[in-house]
Amino acid sequence: MPAPRDVAIVGVHATKQGRNLGRSALSLMLEAFNGALDDAGMTKNDVDGMVAFDFPAGTGAGTSLGEIAFQLDTPMRFISQFSGVPALLYAAAMIRDHVADVIAIPFGGTQEETDGATAAYTRPGYEFTEWTGSTTPAQMALQTRRHMAVYGTTREHLAHCAMVLRNNAHINPEAVMFGRGPYTAQDVLDSRMIADPYTLLMCALVNDGGSCIIVTSADRAKDCKHLPVWVLSGGIGCYYTSYYFPPTLQPLETRGRMLDAFTRAGVTHDDIDFVTTYDHFASGVLMEYEAAGFCEVGEGGPFCMDHIGLDQRFPVSPDGGNIGYSHCINPYNLRIIEAVRQFRNDTPDLCPNAHLGEHTYDRTICRKVRDPKLAVACGPFTGAFSMSILAKA
Amino acid sequence: MPIEWAKPLPHPTALSQPFWDGTKQREIWLQRCGACEAYRFPPLVLCRNCLSEDHQWVPTSGTGTIYSYVIQHRPATPAFIDDLPYVVAIVELDEGPLMLTNIVGCPFEDLDVGMRVMATYVDASPEITLYPFTPTAEPR
Repeated sequence: MPAPRDVAIVGVHATKQGRNLGRSALSLMLEAFNGALDDAGMTKNDVDGMVAFDFPAGTGAGTSLGEIAFQLDTPMRFISQFSGVPALLYAAAMIRDHVADVIAIPFGGTQEETDGATAAYTRPGYEFTEWTGSTTPAQMALQTRRHMAVYGTTREHLAHCAMVLRNNAHINPEAVMFGRGPYTAQDVLDSRMIADPYTLLMCALVNDGGSCIIVTSADRAKDCKHLPVWVLSGGIGCYYTSYYFPPTLQPLETRGRMLDAFTRAGVTHDDIDFVTTYDHFASGVLMEYEAAGFCEVGEGGPFCMDHIGLDQRFPVSPDGGNIGYSHCINPYNLRIIEAVRQFRNDTPDLCPNAHLGEHTYDRTICRKVRDPKLAVACGPFTGAFSMSILAKA
Repeated sequence: MPIEWAKPLPHPTALSQPFWDGTKQREIWLQRCGACEAYRFPPLVLCRNCLSEDHQWVPTSGTGTIYSYVIQHRPATPAFIDDLPYVVAIVELDEGPLMLTNIVGCPFEDLDVGMRVMATYVDASPEITLYPFTPTAEPR
């Protein structure tokens, strides 16, 4: 039985994503918040719920109901802490239960929070981690090496995933790595070694940017500017805190609940037109296709070799993902925003009339998925995995 | 003992101090649950298996197998530059828990998931003895 079309994404906005934008995280967040409200045809006073990491409301430090209500001068009925896919699923549940009507999911981040190469928050001074000289790439590479040892995944599989994403970004004028390609898999393998098995081009960016998503009920969606994008279902599985506990392959164990999400959505994998995986590193792509059930656990490497290109069966992140489009400290929302923009035919690329929504499907200049109706958007594959199934109205 | 350890050092807590008391004595001590006898690491107030608070810190084998490893070609901070390239690894201890560490004294081409390793001990300060692992002499 198909899932009810009762919760919708009605507004999205991504600010310019780039290095050293010279803006504060709060400034980027507010631009995205206002942009998404405008996209929805709403104002801040329509918002009665929020899911955000550290929204600097009230005293500037808090994220309580009262602090955000005072900041926005609007009563809040629901506040929670997260971003991206988990935030979307929290919002959907609250809207289905009429706890809140319009929930915003804003984020802003800048390199000030990092040393410009790795995100500082991902290498905190943990007692049993810091002394080893472990880095963010090392933590995810440990997970990846285990996958290689257990399942036979290869560097070539990783390089292929990174190449596809970087070539998508190469033709996306909004991508931080726009025009920097095209790349071959060999280019990826030949780039500087960072944390063996990861080379530089297998790693995500670190840059500035803001993003926001507005979620509401089917009823309220009728009054919005754009056709809604339905949130059909999803799943979350969390196993450990990254960087503190040694990384494992346990997030692959979420696969069963992700298959359940397809059943609840009333769709099959064959119905899906594209997938926006969360590619903190190239390994995220192939492990997420496994966890989301597009292939068996352990087969993500071979699967990605002939399924994730723009003209292949399950294209991956046509925007270029975290590896090529943007990793604005926390790019969770961007995975969902790209899905919405593909449905709306709002996908800037190098096609001569892309601004009119006309696409050539020449893959040297065009990153538009053909007539997409269903997408899977993913959260990070760290100590957890999350996924949502989204449908064009 | 080195005069100055330039790399970051752990800051023990009341919960973790017995672990560091153990490494000073050239042993890996783990929490063992008083109720179900499950071992746990990193230090936790409650048993992961039965949630009992009751536990003892006990000396363990200090041996295990490599669960995974990475060769770092970029330093975590400038303090690690002189060590490059170095190996960050997870060791699956014979008692069960996973432990993040370094592997020392092993040519990179010999590194392998499943390799038998044992703890070695480095006095980094009067308070802290670190515990990089190295291949055992045992045949695999």
